[in-house]
Amino acid sequence: MVKSNNDALGIIFPNAHDTLVPELVTTRTMASVPFAGRYRMIDFVLSSMANSGISNVSIVVKQNYHSLMDHLGTGREWDLSRKRGGLNLVPPYAEANVKMYRGRVEALATVVEYLKAQKEEYVIMSDSNIAFNFNFRELIEAHVSSNADVTVMYVKRPIPEGLKDDNFTLKVKDGRVVELLTNDYRPGVQNLSMNIYIIQRESLITMIQDASIRGIAYFERDILGRNLELLNVQAFEYTGYTAWISDRKSFFNENMRLLDVDNLDALFNGKLPVYTKVHDNAPTRYAMDSHVKNSMVADGCLIEGEVENCVLFRGVKVRKGAKVKNCVLMQNTVVEAGAQVEYVMTDKNVKITTDKKISGTDTFPVYVAKGHTV
Amino acid sequence: MKECIAMLLAGGQGSRLYALTQRLAKPAVPFGGKYRIIDFPLSNCVNSGIDTVGILTQYQPLVLNEYIGNGQPWDLDRLYGGVHVLPPYQTATGSNWYKGTANAIYQNINFIDRYNPGYVVVLSGDHIYKMDYSKMLDFHKENGADCTIAVMEVPWEEASRFGIMTADENNVVTKFEEKPREPQSNLASMGIYIFTWEKLRKFLIEDEANPASDNDFGKNIIPNMLASNEKMVAYPFEGYWKDVGTIESLWEANMDLLNPNMALDVWGEDWKIYSRNSGKPGQWIGENASIDNSMVTEGCRVEGKLVQSVLFAGVKVGEGAVVEDSIVMPGAVIEPGAVVKYSIIAENAVIKSGAVVGERPEDMEDISNWGVAVVGEGIVIGKNAKVGPKAMVVKDVKEGEEQW
Repeated sequence: MVKSNNDALGIIFPNAHDTLVPELVTTRTMASVPFAGRYRMIDFVLSSMANSGISNVSIVVKQNYHSLMDHLGTGREWDLSRKRGGLNLVPPYAEANVKMYRGRVEALATVVEYLKAQKEEYVIMSDSNIAFNFNFRELIEAHVSSNADVTVMYVKRPIPEGLKDDNFTLKVKDGRVVELLTNDYRPGVQNLSMNIYIIQRESLITMIQDASIRGIAYFERDILGRNLELLNVQAFEYTGYTAWISDRKSFFNENMRLLDVDNLDALFNGKLPVYTKVHDNAPTRYAMDSHVKNSMVADGCLIEGEVENCVLFRGVKVRKGAKVKNCVLMQNTVVEAGAQVEYVMTDKNVKITTDKKISGTDTFPVYVAKGHTV
Repeated sequence: MKECIAMLLAGGQGSRLYALTQRLAKPAVPFGGKYRIIDFPLSNCVNSGIDTVGILTQYQPLVLNEYIGNGQPWDLDRLYGGVHVLPPYQTATGSNWYKGTANAIYQNINFIDRYNPGYVVVLSGDHIYKMDYSKMLDFHKENGADCTIAVMEVPWEEASRFGIMTADENNVVTKFEEKPREPQSNLASMGIYIFTWEKLRKFLIEDEANPASDNDFGKNIIPNMLASNEKMVAYPFEGYWKDVGTIESLWEANMDLLNPNMALDVWGEDWKIYSRNSGKPGQWIGENASIDNSMVTEGCRVEGKLVQSVLFAGVKVGEGAVVEDSIVMPGAVIEPGAVVKYSIIAENAVIKSGAVVGERPEDMEDISNWGVAVVGEGIVIGKNAKVGPKAMVVKDVKEGEEQW
């Protein structure tokens, strides 16, 4: 049995799937993509870990991680500013024999020495392209009780359009993974891997070392996929709410999906809070004659105009006479007086000037890059 | 050594806030959507460069202690200094509650001496204002004062409610009267003092030695210093300041946030008011909601009608519910179809469907019976029950019943 609830450490890969949303990650990582009004993608997995008593988390970064460092700080907001363990940001070494990571194995190779020095029995690895809210103890318990070598989390759902070249699906028999498929194309509901794994720390170290000397780069395809007969790989079905960022459109849709209160409640259930960097914004102010309908609004906004079916991040301003409909406006976006925007997503610090009209469509929302003035 | 540290008086019961301070000290009373009253003086300290603050607590300190914690939200978690909560404590010779404001500081002379400060700012935990104490300290030093008292002009007709200073053309205080019947000046003390520590220390010790003293700053220390010809100057302050020690003034100060013509604002980036974060997701505004001139914050769910109101974190306003000219504190629920007007609904209270709380003064037959209605912490107002204006509800009101 699990000796204590501290008995797993976490490893998060913030750059995994960066290529799915090139516009959003020009100056950030997938992990620092803003989501749900006041969060960054990494907040979900990190809060889930923290709420599960995992107090030793390494973030293995590869590139563009300024915004992520700024966001995470010392990890205090997640209660991970600790003497023992805590949050640990691991950048790549600038050594000749360590190239930019291709696969997960190379990324893990940089933390082997660190892993050896830890005391936790298990390691939980996760990417940060899925927003979910989960108590990892369930996973640890399932893993321990099934005597698995590796347990992988998956959901039953169709493969998102954007993931057609970046997915793993599982063939599961009596709870055991019997086949692991790379870039599955089949339509309909599949056992889609969340790329979240739990494994004994010592076996992970051995796996990485053995893979390194053979020049193997990919954990899923080359280590797990080829050894399913030798390794007892168990599948753990996650049935809670998930929001997958798999391309620009899904980023828009997943934000919008939270306007349904049932979805909002499913992701933010109150028992497991989602932590994020605190900005000390004042409450949002709704001026006289403002009209707001069916929207999610973060703090520090000023609304003088009309807002309908929108997700507004912190510090957004919608001036008098402006009309904003079906939009996702990121931090500090300003929509000036009389402007009309529909099906638009703006990155941080965008300004839509007076009386401008911009509209995208339901299937093709317009994206305005960080810092641009329209 | 620190040049200047602050001592914040937070021990008062706040008995005039009755229903709101049953289980928490006045400085911990929620204010302005995501703050508590104490956030204002604390943020003022940090923004003024004061990094050492002693908070003197006595009455119901639990919520306040937890809220302050290690002081991190105010950037007051410091290696040397930072924020310290100071309850009364036992000594070899016995133990005493804080007998008065001056005695509270007296009992913590050792705390202050640890930092060996040149100056000590003494603050109250029940005032809403934004003020740069460093400018006041400069003024204190420029005038070579022993004590500087922040003052502001108040309407003459209200002057007898305050401690009134008479000052000459050089701002030197010549007379101080606590709540005078016939005021000779309209310069009111704001309860913000800067003392040269050496001087204050001496007067505190002398005051303690006098058994007849009330050990109070306004009643004893200030008059004694004046009588001893110490140099006391009045520091004129212009801007928003309000004592929120009563239900009416607490309600008004919240409403002032919604008034664009008032000088109180929490949105400015240059003088932020910090607070401990609720950690809740964004506020959700429903399909049929209507919001007019209001403040709403994290975790709120609004499906009803909101007019001129302040909602705190996690408040729910159900479909068809009406909240007008009211303050709804963290976690309170206004169920569908309930009506809340001119009221303060305290933390986690529940107003069931069809219940009516408070009334508009315009709708009263006899305006003299009007006042802001208050529903205390965790109180449930049953279905279709009625709570009259000016009521202070500290016990649940059953379905269909009325309370005035």
